[in-house]
Amino acid sequence: MSTFLLTQVINFGAPLVGLILLLGALGLPIGASIVLIAAGAFSQQGILSWPGTALIGLVGALIGDTLSFGMGYYAKDSVQRRFGKSAAWRGARASFQERAGLAVFLTRWLITALAIPTNLIAGGSGYKYSQFIAYDVVGEILWISLYGGLGYLFGSQWELVYDFMSNFGGLILGLVLFGFGLKQAWNWQKKARSQLI
Amino acid sequence: MPQKKRPGQRAVMAGLIIIGILFTAFFGMRAVHAFRKFNGHRPPPSGKVETDVELIRDWMTISFISKTYYVPEKIIFDALDILPLSNHDKSLKVLNKEYYPEKSGYVLSLVKKTILTNQPPPKPDPPHTPTASPPVAP
Repeated sequence: MSTFLLTQVINFGAPLVGLILLLGALGLPIGASIVLIAAGAFSQQGILSWPGTALIGLVGALIGDTLSFGMGYYAKDSVQRRFGKSAAWRGARASFQERAGLAVFLTRWLITALAIPTNLIAGGSGYKYSQFIAYDVVGEILWISLYGGLGYLFGSQWELVYDFMSNFGGLILGLVLFGFGLKQAWNWQKKARSQLI
Repeated sequence: MPQKKRPGQRAVMAGLIIIGILFTAFFGMRAVHAFRKFNGHRPPPSGKVETDVELIRDWMTISFISKTYYVPEKIIFDALDILPLSNHDKSLKVLNKEYYPEKSGYVLSLVKKTILTNQPPPKPDPPHTPTASPPVAP
């Protein structure tokens, strides 16, 4: 799939990069990161114009994020009906609201595997769209500059960059899951101990 | 009375920790390996014409390869014995399937060979012009 898309990016240029980043932001596993790094490299090789590609890519990513936020927003009522009375859901919602900005920002460029769930939860938990989009813009600009910029810097050796970035993303995701699990376990222990006293 | 952990929640916590450890170990090792490879390569100087044919992949098109390696498209199409018409936007993989279905990887290897033999010679470094030095006193 990715190699087919790379051929098409050579043929159709920046508009296709924008479309791929939009579909990627909607959760389609089409390899948005590989296309972004390759687009940076193609710009260095004179195939694409970097400012235009970056701008169209940013617009595509923001539209995709807005749509997935919207999906969460419109599913809010049914989620509320199903889980609204659950203390765990209310707690998770309040906890998300506290750190939503940071979560949106970090999942744009560092823990990209969690971007879609974050968009859906943000929309579904009643997080303000104006705040969501502000953190979203900053995070996406950083993602495009970092991934595209490394592709641009390394040119025809961009596959090395992708190899490293994809594994590094997996490593960060693993650390986040491990840390989150450990924190939950710690909280349970603390609660249990305080109730014993 | 102490709060009881529900088995489902305990399983989720344990699952998160185990998956986290597995992900960290697996991707950590791969990231270190990728970093070693990545670190051994410095970004090429800007404006440098690509010469390494091992970077040619079967998803690339002839026109892309022509621009990257500064070899005219016509030379590559002639070497492949394929008409350029309507084949500009096809990948090497598709061209191989269409024109040489019985020879796997033929187009890719022939393109690499053609590029190697037809690349423009590297530009020589500008000659060192000695700067005027003050006359040495006898």
